[in-house]
Amino acid sequence: MSTRPPEAGPLAELVGPGAVRAAGAADAIGDLRPSLVVRPGTALEVAAVLRAATERGWAVVPRGGGTTLLWGGRPHRCDVVLDTTGLDALVEHAPADLVCVAGAGMRLGALQATVGAAPGFHQRLMLDPPQGEDATLGGLVATRASGPLRQRYGTMRDLLIGAQFVLADGTVARTGGKVAKNVAGYDLDKLLVGSLGTLAVIVEVALRLHPVPPVSRTVVVEGGEPRELVGFLAAVRRAPVVPSLLEVLWPDRVAILRVDSSTAGAERQAEIAAGLHPAARVVDGAEAAGWADRGRGRPWRGEGLVAGVGVPLAAIAPLLEAVEREHQRGGPVDLALRGGLGVGEIRLAPDPAALERVRLAVEGLGGHLDLRRRPAAASDLRTTPPDPVARELMGAVKGALDLGGTLSPGRLGWAG
Amino acid sequence: MDQPPPLAPGVLEALRQVVGPKWVLTGMDARRTYECDGLTGWRALPLAVVLPATTAEVVAVVRLCHQHRLPFVPRGAGTGLSGGALPTPDGIVIGLSRMRAILEVDLENERVRVQAGVANLAVSRAVDAAGYFYAPDPSSQSVCTIGGNVAENSGGAHCLKYGFTTHHVLGATLVTPDGRVARLGGAVPDGPGYDLLGFVVGSEGTVGIVTEVTLRIVRQPERVQTLLGAFPSVDSAGAAVAAVIAAGIVPAAMEMMDRTTIEAVESTMHAGYPDCGAALLVELDGPAPECSSLFEEVRALCQANGATEVRVAHDEAERARLWRGRKGAFSAMGRVSPDYYVQDGVIPRSQLPQVLAGIRDLEGEFGLRVANVFHAGDGNLHPLILYDRRRPGDTERARSLAERILDLCLAVGGSLTGEHGVGRDKACQMPKLFSVSDQAVMLRARRAFDPLELCNPGKVLPTPRLCGERPGIYRPHLLETAGVAERL
Repeated sequence: MSTRPPEAGPLAELVGPGAVRAAGAADAIGDLRPSLVVRPGTALEVAAVLRAATERGWAVVPRGGGTTLLWGGRPHRCDVVLDTTGLDALVEHAPADLVCVAGAGMRLGALQATVGAAPGFHQRLMLDPPQGEDATLGGLVATRASGPLRQRYGTMRDLLIGAQFVLADGTVARTGGKVAKNVAGYDLDKLLVGSLGTLAVIVEVALRLHPVPPVSRTVVVEGGEPRELVGFLAAVRRAPVVPSLLEVLWPDRVAILRVDSSTAGAERQAEIAAGLHPAARVVDGAEAAGWADRGRGRPWRGEGLVAGVGVPLAAIAPLLEAVEREHQRGGPVDLALRGGLGVGEIRLAPDPAALERVRLAVEGLGGHLDLRRRPAAASDLRTTPPDPVARELMGAVKGALDLGGTLSPGRLGWAG
Repeated sequence: MDQPPPLAPGVLEALRQVVGPKWVLTGMDARRTYECDGLTGWRALPLAVVLPATTAEVVAVVRLCHQHRLPFVPRGAGTGLSGGALPTPDGIVIGLSRMRAILEVDLENERVRVQAGVANLAVSRAVDAAGYFYAPDPSSQSVCTIGGNVAENSGGAHCLKYGFTTHHVLGATLVTPDGRVARLGGAVPDGPGYDLLGFVVGSEGTVGIVTEVTLRIVRQPERVQTLLGAFPSVDSAGAAVAAVIAAGIVPAAMEMMDRTTIEAVESTMHAGYPDCGAALLVELDGPAPECSSLFEEVRALCQANGATEVRVAHDEAERARLWRGRKGAFSAMGRVSPDYYVQDGVIPRSQLPQVLAGIRDLEGEFGLRVANVFHAGDGNLHPLILYDRRRPGDTERARSLAERILDLCLAVGGSLTGEHGVGRDKACQMPKLFSVSDQAVMLRARRAFDPLELCNPGKVLPTPRLCGERPGIYRPHLLETAGVAERL
């Protein structure tokens, strides 16, 4: 579709020659090899690059930490990778307001270090994605990536309170603000969260922070059949226990619960939780740290494809049974599920048949499955489609914000 | 009196065929009932009011509107405070008040599916015995509808801890402005594709009509503890708020009232509040040991920051008494002042002392009193500007003062509205917060749903035609003077 082959010259004029380079093997998106990598330093430079690319018909894929470039689907084309890591300044941290504003290219680890260092406060961004501390804030918004802490604190959908972004035609706009309670104007934040770089390039984010409770206690349940483990999850939901994480790992046959509270609150909640299942026990010190390690980064450790799954709470047991059947078949399978929510991620062999079995099982349970890490070659991997009319509306939204299809074309197959 | 409305021939008949003749209101008196919402300063007579009972009927009505290019305004209980349900004189109102069925209570999956006209409180009542509740609690919750809550992304006193409507809606059935039916979200979070549901929540009824909603319900906390601290000044009470936040405590609610408000509450309803410069109401909930230990911490922080008295509720009756003055503050104000206008601004909570000082200066400058009642925990201010519209120039001054308060909020990095919405009331003030290109992008997104702009036109975004006019001023709504609804 490109009307002219991508060339560095026009972009170098906009952002300076030091911020444009030819793409290398490390810049590939699966088997897709872009021509150029451009690293703008300001929102206005992002706007200039996008306008130039749209005028020339070049496809642009935004990239932050580069940890999740194959979420959704592989884009059909990529002429220019727009590297956001130059937009990494902390704009503001207001600890008394539990809010910070930062460039979208700032790494999660850098943000945590900065907000954690505010004297007199103990707060952080309550997000622990499996991609780790190298993920950028913009990437975390675009992918809606999250980890076990989602149980209590949600995803970027719940933490993002404002953003600045640039559309493919170079329009620079803001949505939301820097106060958590705010209903002024349309909530475009929600469209950005999970948009996978197909609607806009996010350049700045305002985030809600949370205080870090002083004391943590961990309770572990090991062994048993799916229904026994799920009995524990249901009992926790009914008990006066507010877990920060309630992680089910399968085929490990393990549930890990952590409460974070005041000293008295954490002790008592851990005791109550430990009384809810015969195999449940409170673990301390090194053992608790060991369990935290065991859950960290799951199920992304290891080879294969990774899919997001979600099922209704009442369907967690049958989901675990379906995963157990995959395990019995001998294929690699690894599920990490937020046990109080019914959402999580599963790793499978890079085999369309395995994915299809799991997808059908999940959809049969009233849930859905989407693809997050795909094998480089496979192209016929099916995921749960949106409702047909919703899908038309998504296409209309994409058309309204990126009419020419500049941004990550084809990544969301159904929306262009 | 009953003039036939100038609807295209056959449209009225077609509407009657869809919903039944009884549910198409064309009489002058009937239409008058719908001429405004809770913001009574703005009024317009719709051509007709249609009251469908099912999603299929809404679809048929909307298709007729689309076919005849007839603008339409969705409406729930009409308790909104920003003119979001203000009719358009060249269109009809589609009221959802007949769609009041609770379709499914699914405790196992912790969700409830309702029609859009179900009252907010009815959801909590349906699951109360099972130990659950629906968290968003706008003060009009006994009458306001879930559909209206979705449109406005309603909050309430307890959203400091529990979040807003957008955090509690899992799925919705949306009738698009051209009459298609979209199922957004579902029973499980993170459905495929863009988060259209997140965009629709808070879109103030401008991108379609939500007819069914799936809500998340929340387990009732084991313990709830409430205290009222009496402080010499709003500054010292504000310092206590800051100290609570700095200590890493997130109360379920944290509400403040200034002296003017306390006096009004005492003189009209004798709530038994202490005589003080500011009252701070703090409520914590959660697992019992955690709640109790944090409660003691909050009590100590109040005392350390100058509280002259801290009253603790020991049972539900005492808790209700502490809340009574807060919940009745607005209606009390209606009794001590002939008229008042309620502003809904948001500030970063750390800016509280500075903004309150600014409001005091404005009182002097304009010669009007301002009573401050607010959600201190999340910086959502509700200054009540007291005036008397019979006094020449008062209405004008009140309007200007309200705008100046909003300017103060925006100057410190706040927002135009925390929970009442933009609606018609603040559409013309959007440029104070959003640039031309911000608004242009919002309009592009809105038009993706409604290219003809038939659905609730003239709301949220400013238009040159509308913004040459003067914004309206508050007069008490019928429901409010009747004591059915209050505004927080």
